[in-house]
Amino acid sequence: MDTLGLLNYAIFMGVLIGIYALLSLGLNVQWGYAGLFNAGVAGFFAVGAYLSALFTAPPVPDRIMGWELPTGVGWFAAMAAAALIAWPIGKVTLRFRSDYLAIATIGVAEIIRLVLRTEDLLSGGVRGITGIPRPFGDLPYEWSQLAYLGLTWGMVVVIYWALERQLAAPWGRMMRAIRENELAAAAMGKNVEARRLEAFILGAAIMGLAGAVYVHFMRAITPEAIDPMMVTFLVWIMLILGGSGNNRGAILGAVIIWVIWSSSELLTDRLPAEIATQAKYIRVFVIGLMLQLVLRWRPEGLLPEGTHVRRSS
Amino acid sequence: MSGLELINFYVIPGLISGSIYALGAIGITLIFGILRYAHFAHGDMATLGAYVALGLVGSLALSPWVALPIAMAITALVAVVLDRVFYRHLETRPKILTVMASLGVALMLRSVVQVVWGVDPQVYSTGIVRAESYGGLMLRSRELITFATATGLVLFLMAFLRYTRWGKAMRAMSDNPELARLCGVNNEAVTRLTWVIAGALAAAAGFFLGINTELNTMMGWSALLAMFAAAILGGVGRVEGAVVGGLVIGLVEELSVLVLPSQYKMATAFVILILILLVRPQGIFKGKVL
Amino acid sequence: MTYRSQLVASLAAAGLIATSSAAFAEAKVALMGGITGPIAGMAPAMIASMKLALDQANAAGLAIGKITYQEFDCGCNPQVATDAATKAVNVFGADAAVGPACSGALLAAVNSVTIPAGVLVVSPSATSPKITDLDDKDLVFRTVPSDDFQGRALARTLLERGVKKVAVAYINNDYGKGLAEAFKAEFEAKGGTITQFRGHEDKKASYRSDLAELAKGGADTLVLFDYGNASGMTILRQAIENGFFKQFVGADGMRDENLIKTLGEANLKHFFVSAPVGEAGAAFEKFAEAARKAGLDPNATFAATSYDAAALVALALEAAKGDKAKLPQALRAVATAPGERIYPGEWEKAKQLLAEGKEIDYKGASGDHEFDAKGDVPGSYAFFKVEGGTYKEVQKMK
Repeated sequence: MDTLGLLNYAIFMGVLIGIYALLSLGLNVQWGYAGLFNAGVAGFFAVGAYLSALFTAPPVPDRIMGWELPTGVGWFAAMAAAALIAWPIGKVTLRFRSDYLAIATIGVAEIIRLVLRTEDLLSGGVRGITGIPRPFGDLPYEWSQLAYLGLTWGMVVVIYWALERQLAAPWGRMMRAIRENELAAAAMGKNVEARRLEAFILGAAIMGLAGAVYVHFMRAITPEAIDPMMVTFLVWIMLILGGSGNNRGAILGAVIIWVIWSSSELLTDRLPAEIATQAKYIRVFVIGLMLQLVLRWRPEGLLPEGTHVRRSS
Repeated sequence: MSGLELINFYVIPGLISGSIYALGAIGITLIFGILRYAHFAHGDMATLGAYVALGLVGSLALSPWVALPIAMAITALVAVVLDRVFYRHLETRPKILTVMASLGVALMLRSVVQVVWGVDPQVYSTGIVRAESYGGLMLRSRELITFATATGLVLFLMAFLRYTRWGKAMRAMSDNPELARLCGVNNEAVTRLTWVIAGALAAAAGFFLGINTELNTMMGWSALLAMFAAAILGGVGRVEGAVVGGLVIGLVEELSVLVLPSQYKMATAFVILILILLVRPQGIFKGKVL
Repeated sequence: MTYRSQLVASLAAAGLIATSSAAFAEAKVALMGGITGPIAGMAPAMIASMKLALDQANAAGLAIGKITYQEFDCGCNPQVATDAATKAVNVFGADAAVGPACSGALLAAVNSVTIPAGVLVVSPSATSPKITDLDDKDLVFRTVPSDDFQGRALARTLLERGVKKVAVAYINNDYGKGLAEAFKAEFEAKGGTITQFRGHEDKKASYRSDLAELAKGGADTLVLFDYGNASGMTILRQAIENGFFKQFVGADGMRDENLIKTLGEANLKHFFVSAPVGEAGAAFEKFAEAARKAGLDPNATFAATSYDAAALVALALEAAKGDKAKLPQALRAVATAPGERIYPGEWEKAKQLLAEGKEIDYKGASGDHEFDAKGDVPGSYAFFKVEGGTYKEVQKMK
C-alpha cells in the first residue's frame, strides 16, 4: 500500500470510467435526445467488443476470424458493426413505444449474448477470445495503464465534442422537438421515424466503440463480460443519476457510479473478518440503497438538462 | 417418439414452467397496466417469497403447503412496504426513475436473501419423488398441486377483478387512471391492492419454482425475463393474457429443444416475443399499447 | 462520500494493519472468489478452504510472519474481477492471489492487472484451456487440472469398466464444455459411441425435454459435466425422478456432499464421479479431517483445490522469504519433486525443512501439483461412488 499503488488504482478506475462514460454518452443520444428506451446496451457493447477483438486478434484454428489488423481498424469496424446491426433492430423495434422497446431490446441483447456463448466458430464460444493486442501494451505496467487512460479519455473527449456540436446543430434541436412532442414535429414536416433511427444508430455506434475500447484494455473477452446487470443496467443508472439529456451529466454519472461501485468494496471490507464473505452481499445491498437515496433526493439527476420542459412518459 | 413421450417430457414440464412464469407475469402485467412501469424487482420478490417459505418450513417444521399461504401473505406485505418506501415518492416523476428504483430494490432483496439464508442451493424436502402413472401420463403430486393451485389463484383473481368493487376499480385504473380518479376511485388503495396481489403471486411463483427444482438466490432474477416476455406476449394489463403468455413461453422453451441446441432455450422466448410485437403489438389478448 | 475520503480511509486502515505486523516484510494474499454472481453457491466453501490453509499456516508461525489475507469478489465477471484485482494489487498490496474462480474473470484480471504488476496468481477452479497458452511470465498457475486431462481419463475409465455407449450433457461454460469435448475426443477415438452430445444453460426450471433428447439413441449412461450445486443437481434429480438412464457419471464439479443429502443416498447407487487425487490418497484424508473439524464439507465443489492453492501460495511465500520476484520459482520448488513430501496440514515440518534450506514437495488434497512449464497440473484421478453420505474411491483412473 503506497501512493504509487493508489495511483495505479486511480488510473485503472479512470479507464473503466472512461469506457462507461462512452456507453453513457451513447445511451444519452438514444434516451436523452431521442427518448428511446434502449435496454439492450449490452448487445451493442458486445458487438463492438467482439468485432474489434476478431479483427485484431491472432487467428486460431476453430474460429473463422482473427485477422491481426491494427487496433484502429478494429475500433472503426466496431463502430460500423454496431451501427450496422442497430439499423435493422431499430427499423423493427422503434415502432414500439417506451417499455415495449425496452423489452424488445433486452430480448435482442440476450439473443446476441446466447449466440456469442454458443457459436464457437464465430466468437470462440464460452472460452472467448484471448491474445487481443493493447495499444501501448508493451510499455511497463504503470506507463501502459497511463497511456491507455489517455487514449480512452481522448475518445471520450472526441465523442463528447462531436455530440455537443451535433446537439447544437439543427439536428439536435429537431431531436428534442421530436422527443417533446412527436405529433407537432411530424406536423411541421419532420421525418420522425428517420430521425429516431438516426439517433438509435448513432448511439449504438458509440456503444460499439466503448466495447472496442474495453476489449483492448482487458486483452481478452468472454461472454461473461456482457452481463446485462454490469453493462445495460449500470449504464442506465449512470445516465439517470448524472442527468439524462446532458452529456456532461452522462459522464459525471459514470464517474460517480463507478467510484461508488468500486470503492464500496473498500467500505464493506472493514466489517469484521468473520462476515467477510457476507460483506460482499452487503456491498450489493449498499449499492442498491445508494441508488434509492439518490432517486429520493436528486431524481432529476445531478446535472439536469438545460431545458425547462419536463418529459412525461 | 410416441405421443405420450412428447406429453410427458415436453408438454407437462412446459406447462409446469409455464404456470410458474404465468404467476410471475400476472404481477408484472398488473403493475405495468395499473402503475405503468416495468418492475424489475419482481424476480427477486419471487426469490424472497420462496425463501420465506423455506424459513417457515425450516424453523416451524411446517409442511411446505402450509407455509405457502403464509409466505404469500408475508411477501405481499413486503411488496406494499417496498412500494411505500421506494416507489411511491417517484409517482409523479418520469417512470424511468421507478424502473431504476426497482433495479435497486432487486439488488437489495437478493442481498438480504443471501445474507439471511446463504447461497447454497436448498430444497423444501429432500429425496426423490418418482412420478405416478395416470394411464401413461407421468405426474407427481407436487406437479398436480402446482398446476391446480396456479389455476385456482388465476380463476380467483379473475373473478375478483370482474365481480368485486375493488376489482372493478383496478380495471378502471388500468384503463384510464385520470378518469378512474374522477369517478371516485381511491388511487392509493388500488395501488396497495395491486401490490398485495403482485407480491402474493410472485411468492407463489418462487415457491413453485423452488418445490419443482431447488431454491437458489438467483432463481427469480433468472426467470424475470421470461416473465416479462409472458406479460407482453399476453397483452399488458390482461391477467388471462399473462397466463396464456406464460404457458406459451414455458411450452415453447421445452419444445424448442426438439429442433435447437438447448443453449437457445431462453432465446426462443424472445424470438416469439419480438415476432408477436411485430405482427400484433397489443399482445394476444389485446392489452394496452403503452 | 468522495473518492478521496475513501482513499484516505483505506490508507488509514492499511496503516493500522501494517503497524501491527511482525518485523518481516508482510506477506499479503488476496482471496478472489466468485462471491456474488453466477457461481455464488460455490464461493463460500472455496473461500473457507483457502482461509483454512492460511490459518493453519499462521498458527504454525511461519518465518515470514503472519500472512494477511483479504477477500475480494470477482463476481465471475471480467469488469468486477479486474476492478477487484486492481484493488487487491494496488490498494491491499497483495503479493499473491488465490483465484479468480472463473476462467473469463481470470483471463481479464491476469491480462490487464496481475501479470503486468508481477503478482503471482494460483486459481483453484478456472479450467479453460486458454489459460494454458497465456503469455503469463510464469505468474499464472492453477491447482485444478485443465479439463483436457480429466475428460480423457474419464473416457478411458468408462471404457475400461465396459461402458461403450453414453450420452453427454454439459453446462455451457468453459468448465463443462472443455471436459465434454476432451471426453468426446478420447471416448470416440478408443471405440466408444456417444449417442447424444448436448450443452445446456444453468438455472432453468426444467431439463426434462433435454433429458428426453439425451435419452434418444438408447444409451444407459449419462455423462454429466456440470456442478453439483447448480443445474447438475436439477438434471440429476429430474433424470432419476423420470427414469432416464440407469447410470450417471460426473466429473469433479459434481462431487458435492450437499447433493447426496438433497437427493438421498439410496437414489444415488448408480452415480459416480471422477476427481483429482494425490498419488497417496492420504493427502485428501488429512485435508478432510481438518476441514470437518472446521465445520466444512471437504467434498464441496473445488474445496480441495482451493485449499491446495492457498497452501501452495503460503509455502511459496515462506520459501521465497517474502521476496515477490522469487515467488514463481519458489512455488515450483515447493510444489514439485524432488524434496521431502509435505501433506496438507504438515506446516511445522514444512517450516523446519525450509528453514534448513531443504527442498520440499507438497502433495495436495486434490493432487500432487507437479506443475508443468505452463503452470498446469496434469493431475491423477480416481473414480468415486456414493457411500456413507460421502464419496468413496472405487478405483484409480489412468
